[in-house]
Amino acid sequence: MSNSTNWMAARVRLGWILLAAGLLTGIAGVWAETQYGGLPFNTRIITGVGILLVGLGIANLVRYRAALNDERSARRITVEERDERSLLIRHRAGYRAFWAAFALVYAGLMWVSFAANGSLPEMSTDALWFFLAGCTVLPLGVYIASMLVDERRL
Amino acid sequence: MENHLEALRQKKGWTQQELADRVLVSRQTIISLENGRYNPSILLAFRLARVFGMQIEDIFIYSDNEVEYE
Repeated sequence: MSNSTNWMAARVRLGWILLAAGLLTGIAGVWAETQYGGLPFNTRIITGVGILLVGLGIANLVRYRAALNDERSARRITVEERDERSLLIRHRAGYRAFWAAFALVYAGLMWVSFAANGSLPEMSTDALWFFLAGCTVLPLGVYIASMLVDERRL
Repeated sequence: MENHLEALRQKKGWTQQELADRVLVSRQTIISLENGRYNPSILLAFRLARVFGMQIEDIFIYSDNEVEYE
């Protein structure tokens, strides 16, 4: 087996693991929903995580399983995903997104700390939701923007 | 970093894709290397040197101004 096929086989294994974990989590979510109606949180969250894992598993399997028996496709996909320039671009984007997320979370932490001693108003539930949504979306935006800029620059 | 990649590739009669396949990178990486926008890792530099049968210094031109801070 070549390096490419080995790498591809590892991705396929990961796909099966994600799929199995997703199915188990999904079943656990449905089971919890039907058996324990009075839990203090919505058990559909567990089912949702399960569905996400199943999706990731299937995506891995669809992308890599066909290439497993085709050396040329395996090599092409391996080169595409391990290309050092693409890796550099992704790492730089990840680095910038990390600092964007860090700055946002730090700002939120400061707000909560100042709110606790009355220096700032308390964050309402709605404001907290928007803030957390921003903490998710803005770093993703930074990541994508960084990828686009570096794709042209490098 | 300036380099002689494009000239060397053309001398061999290879396309950018052919060179990319030989050194296990994408065609876009070869384009960026040839334009001097991207500096290769030491491993890629060695692979390039090997496919052309040359030394790294014969392909890439290092000058003291190359130091890049971010």
